[in-house]
Amino acid sequence: MAMCKDVVENIIGYIEAELDDKTLEELERHAGECPECQAFVRTYRRMLELCGKLRERTFVTPQIRRRLKDFLKSQTRSK
Amino acid sequence: MWETGFLRKIISTITGGKDSRESALSTSDEKLIETFINENNESAFEEIVSRYVDKIYGLALRITRNPNDAEEVLQDVFLTLAKKIDTFRGEAKFSSWLYRVTVNASYMHLRAERKHETDISLEDYVPYDENGTLMGRVASKDWSERPDKALFSKEAMEMIEKAVKELPESYRVVFHLRDIEGLSNEEVSEILGLSVAAVKSRLHRGRLFLRDKLSDYFYEWSR
Ligand SMILES: [Zn+2]
Repeated sequence: MAMCKDVVENIIGYIEAELDDKTLEELERHAGECPECQAFVRTYRRMLELCGKLRERTFVTPQIRRRLKDFLKSQTRSK
Repeated sequence: MWETGFLRKIISTITGGKDSRESALSTSDEKLIETFINENNESAFEEIVSRYVDKIYGLALRITRNPNDAEEVLQDVFLTLAKKIDTFRGEAKFSSWLYRVTVNASYMHLRAERKHETDISLEDYVPYDENGTLMGRVASKDWSERPDKALFSKEAMEMIEKAVKELPESYRVVFHLRDIEGLSNEEVSEILGLSVAAVKSRLHRGRLFLRDKLSDYFYEWSR
């Protein structure tokens, strides 16, 4: 009989659909009756979706570019 | 290999020089490097610079958690790139090579600053009790159904950044490369010099830790 622990430890295989049929069936039987596991899987998926969004952020400001340019300039002069 | 004209080209890229970049947009990194090395084609190099400036800085910032350190790493990496690009021989993916240079520069920086935290292990981190039952009131804190407008807001993004920052360093870097940058387990393994099994294990524990943190933050936020 599967427990929350089994859902948690197989979560990557579960969301990537890599589990064998028997394991999948056992996990789904447990999760079907366990609101905690249902919420766990939902928030886990949602977290990954949100984290993918972080990729679109940029932290390189015009000031950072300017200083990078100055730095590389100073490196040519010293060579 | 270290010519002033060449460096001037890089500098013009940093400040937004475009020249003949458009034609290079769909070319692979490796092809661009080959073109640059074989034909000394500088616009190929410019394209590489513009593709990676945000990625290098983002990764350095993730590891060092300090904008000043990240900026110095960025400068180190570009200098290394300009000086040593011809040592890249194509046995690895170029992006993996460049990420590895960035990771190494970031770690060197941490050591130089004597800030290398004693890395906490999350190997025993589990969100369930000794009976194997989930803890932490997962269902009553469930935030997954909140509207995109709230979850993709600037405020929520800041909270996620804050939660990621709390991951111990060796989990944070794996998480960044896999779940933020979207690289494969194999690529991360190559960049960090870890086995694929170690990458998977760190990713798993890191995600569990992060899901708990996020749930706490989002729960507090909505109260
Ligand atoms: Zn359960």
